Amino acid sequence: VERPASSRERPLPVADVVRLAGRAVDALGLVWLVGEVTQVSQPSSGHVYFALQDQGSVLPAVMWGRDVARLRAPIQAGQRLRVRGRLGVYDRDGKLQLYADFAEPAGAGAEALALEQLKAKLAAEGLFAAERKRRLPVWPRAIGLVTGNDAAAKRDVLTGIQARFPPANVIVAETYVQGPRAASAVVETIRRLAELTDVIVVARGGGSFEDLLPFSDERLVRAIAACPVPVVSAVGHEQDMPLCDLAADVRASTPTAAARLVVPDLGELHDRLDRSRAALGAGARRSLDRHAQRLAEAHDRLRRAPALLLERRRATLEQTAGRLRALSPQATLNRGYAIVRAGESIVRSAEAVEPGERIDVEVGDGRFGARVE
Amino acid sequence: VSSEPTFESAQRELEHIVQRLESGDAALDEAIALWERGEELYRFCLGKLDSAQGKIEDLANRVEAAKP
Repeated sequence: VERPASSRERPLPVADVVRLAGRAVDALGLVWLVGEVTQVSQPSSGHVYFALQDQGSVLPAVMWGRDVARLRAPIQAGQRLRVRGRLGVYDRDGKLQLYADFAEPAGAGAEALALEQLKAKLAAEGLFAAERKRRLPVWPRAIGLVTGNDAAAKRDVLTGIQARFPPANVIVAETYVQGPRAASAVVETIRRLAELTDVIVVARGGGSFEDLLPFSDERLVRAIAACPVPVVSAVGHEQDMPLCDLAADVRASTPTAAARLVVPDLGELHDRLDRSRAALGAGARRSLDRHAQRLAEAHDRLRRAPALLLERRRATLEQTAGRLRALSPQATLNRGYAIVRAGESIVRSAEAVEPGERIDVEVGDGRFGARVE
Repeated sequence: VSSEPTFESAQRELEHIVQRLESGDAALDEAIALWERGEELYRFCLGKLDSAQGKIEDLANRVEAAKP
């Protein structure tokens, strides 16, 4: 720590001393401390000013708004808190002050640790595995709702369900959702509801870390994982994440979200049904049209068949006649050849005729008589 | 447990029929039969949607009622 050079002749200004003292306590680094909260005030800036006291000592403290926003629970007078921060000296009054950046209930450390260990153990068993998650029924015949007498969570789930899907049947089971009896009460309630329903919603509003502890109880977590019907967990706030959330088939961020998960939207069902019906009519009409068209085409071909047959025969005949004409001697005679006949027989040899014999000569355009010389 | 189909299974069948009809390879008799069946399923589903009356009851009452 820096030692100021000061003397009777050269005293230091107050601001320098306060600044040096501030540096000296800041050099202590991050400090964890535990104490009881008093004198809490939270102006509109969002920062929280309070004091920690125990054994007769008091330490003023401040936590800036951005750190306050990250706390699980608000800082309240009378709490015993475990606080982390750096020390400083406020120059305006020269007082030692704690600049806190984190606080949790003093008892929570051991519990939080036990919770982490339980979480690791159950995760290793595969209790939270994605492949264990079941799909929720599209149209549940009956929905079980486990809730405390906490009106808000119960009302949110019920209103949500009825607004979306009026035909829903809900069996509401109010039970302890806080305190030492809560875990076993919820386990028993889930067991009974599972016999009567095909999906169960466990709904509980937000609360302190301790309030929500029953929902991380090993028996309760195991009961949810082993429940014969799918379970939706809507416990605490988004950031709480009790273990029952991990074991449930679906986690809902709020009771209203849980309602959306367990029932279909009646309006959407109507729309989908109407679309199916329109497609059904169109499909049937197209199918009939196609068959009618095929029939018309077949009929047309049938009608044209006899005429086609005659046509084809005539064509064949013409072709044959053509070939016949090509084979006749007429073409040869036209080129200047002649056919000589003696009586009825064709003369193919000079030896076949005698001088003075009468013969017939046929040329391209007719015939004439002649005598052999 | 009734032998009546559930809304879900009826809706699935209806959508399957629509697909079958749209594929266009159904014979005429089959196409007509499919359409009739589809209409029947549509009416069934619609009836389910329109007639179903939900209720909210208490597990405690339910347990009381179940006692002999």
